[in-house]
Amino acid sequence: MILLAVKNFVRSGGVRIGLLFLLVAGLASLLVGHQFLNRQQTAVADARAFQQKDFRRSAAVHSHELGLLLYYLKFSLVNETSPLSGLSIGQRDVNASVQSVTIRALEGQKYDADLTNPTNQLLGNLDFSFVLIYLFPLLIIAFTYNIISEEKESGTWRIVAVQSNNLLRFVGQLFLIRLLTLLGLLLILLALAVPLLGIAPDASFGLFLATSVLYVLFWFGVSVWVASLQQRSSVNAMLLLGIWLGLVVVLPAIVNTYITTRYPVPEALATTLAQRKGYHEKWDMDRTQTMTRFYAHYPQFKHNPVPDSGFSWLWYYAMQQLGDDESATQADELKARLLQREAASRTIARFIPTLHTQLQLNDLARSGLGNQLRFLDYTSRFHEKKRLYFYPKLINNAPVSAERWDAFPVETFTDRAPVGYVGVLAPLLLFILGLAGFGWVNLSRSVYRL
Amino acid sequence: MLQAIELTKQYTPNRQTIPALNALNLRVQPGDIYCLLGQNGAGKTTTINLFLGFLEPTSGQALVGGMNVTDHLSETRRLLAYLPETVMLYPNLTGLENLRFFSSLAGFHYSTDELAGFLTTAGLQASAHTSRVGKYSKGMRQKVGIAIALAKRARVLLLDEPTSGLDPKAANEFSDILRRLSADGAAILMATHDIFRAREVGTHIGIMRAGRLVETLTTPDLTAQELEAIYLQTV
Repeated sequence: MILLAVKNFVRSGGVRIGLLFLLVAGLASLLVGHQFLNRQQTAVADARAFQQKDFRRSAAVHSHELGLLLYYLKFSLVNETSPLSGLSIGQRDVNASVQSVTIRALEGQKYDADLTNPTNQLLGNLDFSFVLIYLFPLLIIAFTYNIISEEKESGTWRIVAVQSNNLLRFVGQLFLIRLLTLLGLLLILLALAVPLLGIAPDASFGLFLATSVLYVLFWFGVSVWVASLQQRSSVNAMLLLGIWLGLVVVLPAIVNTYITTRYPVPEALATTLAQRKGYHEKWDMDRTQTMTRFYAHYPQFKHNPVPDSGFSWLWYYAMQQLGDDESATQADELKARLLQREAASRTIARFIPTLHTQLQLNDLARSGLGNQLRFLDYTSRFHEKKRLYFYPKLINNAPVSAERWDAFPVETFTDRAPVGYVGVLAPLLLFILGLAGFGWVNLSRSVYRL
Repeated sequence: MLQAIELTKQYTPNRQTIPALNALNLRVQPGDIYCLLGQNGAGKTTTINLFLGFLEPTSGQALVGGMNVTDHLSETRRLLAYLPETVMLYPNLTGLENLRFFSSLAGFHYSTDELAGFLTTAGLQASAHTSRVGKYSKGMRQKVGIAIALAKRARVLLLDEPTSGLDPKAANEFSDILRRLSADGAAILMATHDIFRAREVGTHIGIMRAGRLVETLTTPDLTAQELEAIYLQTV
C-alpha cells in the first residue's frame, strides 16, 4: 500500500517540479558555500604571503630603527574558517576573517576592515541555511497543506475512510512519505556538501545535521497541527503560509527591531575617535604624565625612563597605549551591548524555531556574532602579546637584524567555544513534540468524520 | 445486519434546527436488497452517511452487525463496503493500482490476476486496467468502485446512487452482481432515484420524504407501474 501511495505522490507533476527546484536551489547554495570558502582561503593565503613579503621588505628599509619598523609592521591573525561556514555563512562575509594589527593603539584597528559584499548585506546569501530555513518549509507546505482536505474535496476520502482499517495510520503514512522524501533530499545535499566543502564528519557536523533534520520535522509538526484542524485546502494553505511568513520574515524582523532599540550599540567610530583623541592630545602634554600612567599600566617597565626632550619610541608607544586606555570605557560599552544583544537574541530565539535554528547553525559553523566577539577578544590578547614582546626590545633599542622576522607566522584563532547539544536541540524537540502531539490527538478525534 | 432505531439527524446552522432524518426505523437482513427511494433532500444519503459513521446521529441508533456505529466506528466499517454516486479515485494510479491500493487499505492482498478478475467482473475492459484513472470516464471509475466493493468481500453494502454514470449494459451487469451478492448473504442498502432498477433488484423498498420513511414495500407484490404510481403519490 505504501509503495502505491509513494507512486501516487511522485507521479504528481507538481511534486517533481518542487523537488527539482529545491535540489537546484540546494546545489546552488553548495556552490555559493564553495565559493565563499575559496575566497576565505585565498584571503588567508594572501595575508600570509603579504606578511612574509612585507616583513622582509620593511626590515630591509627600516633596518636601523626598530620603533619605526614596528610602526609599519602589521601582524595578521586569522579567524579560522570552519568548512561548515560554507553551509551557514552567517556574519562571516560581513566581518573580516583576517585582522592585521600593528602594535600601535588597537581600538581603531579593530574596525577598519572593508566590507567585502555590501550588496549581499541587503539580499543575504543563498547559502544552505537560507535554503533550509526559507525554502524547505515552502515545499513542506506545498506537499502537506492538502493532505486530508484535498481527498475530502475530491471525494476519495469517503472510500478511503470506509476501506481503511486504521485511518490514523494511513494519514501518518501520507505524512511519512513526504517527510522521508524531503529528508532524503536534505541528506543528499549534506552528503554532497561533505566532499565539496571539505567538511569533516565530526560532532559539529552531526549536530548541524541533527538541527537541520529537527527543523524539517518542526515544519512537519506545524503541518500535522494545521491538518488536524480539518479546514479546506485553501484555508490550510493560507494558514501555513501565514505561519511561514510570521516565523521566517515578520517575527525575526520584529525581534531585530526590538533588540536594536532595547540595546542600542554605540558606534565603533566613537571608540576609534576616543582612542585617537586620547593618543593625539598626548603630544601636547607633559610626557612625565604620560609615562606615569604608562608605568602604572606596565609596572615592569617603570625603571626605564624616557628622555625629557626629543623623540623616543617608548614615549610614542606609551601615547598609543594611553589612546587605548582612554577609549576602554567606550570599547567595553560596545562589547557589553553586543553581548547583551547576543544573549537577548538567544533567549528570544528559543521561542522562535526559525531564529533558533539560524543562530545554532551559525554557532556550529562558527559564523555568528558570538564567534566574532570571541575573535575580537582574541585579537586584543594577540595584540597585547605582541606589545609585551616588543616593548623590552624598544627599551633596549634592540637591533632590527637581531630579530628573525620570518619567525612571525600568521597566527590563527580557533574558536573552541562549546556548543551544548541540549541547548541546540531541546527547543526544537519541544516544539515538534507539542505540535505533532497536539495535532495527532486532534486528528484522532476528528479524522473519522467527514 | 443493518438496523436503524429511531435514527434522527438534525442540522443547526445559525441556531435554526433543520431535520434531515426523523426517527427512521428500518432493518436490512442478510440477503436483502433494501432500496431507498425519494427526492433530493429526502434523507437517503444522510441515512447512508449515518451508517458509515460520517455523521453522528442527533438521537437514535445506527447498528451494523449489531454494533452501534457511533461506539464502534472502526469495527462497523470493517463490515461495510461503500459505493458513492461518483467514485473518485487517485488519478495518478491505474485502475489496477487503485484497486490494489484500496484493497490493501482494507487488509486484503490480492495477486494481479485476482485484482484483474474483480475489475473484469465489475465490467471494466481489460485494456483499461493499466491506464491511469485520470483518463477514465465517470462510468469507468464507477466500475473500479464496484470492484473495490467486491474485493472487500463485505457482508454489508451501502450504495448511494451506484448506477449513476453507468451505461445501460453496465447497469444491468451491476444488477446481476447485486443479485449474486445478495444470494451469497450480503445485506445491501441502496439509495437511488431509479424506480425501475429498484423494482428490478430490490427485495424491499422504502420511500422517504422530508427525512421520514413514509412507505415500505416488498417488491414481489408490485409491478413497476404500481411502484411508480405509489412513488409519485407519496413524494
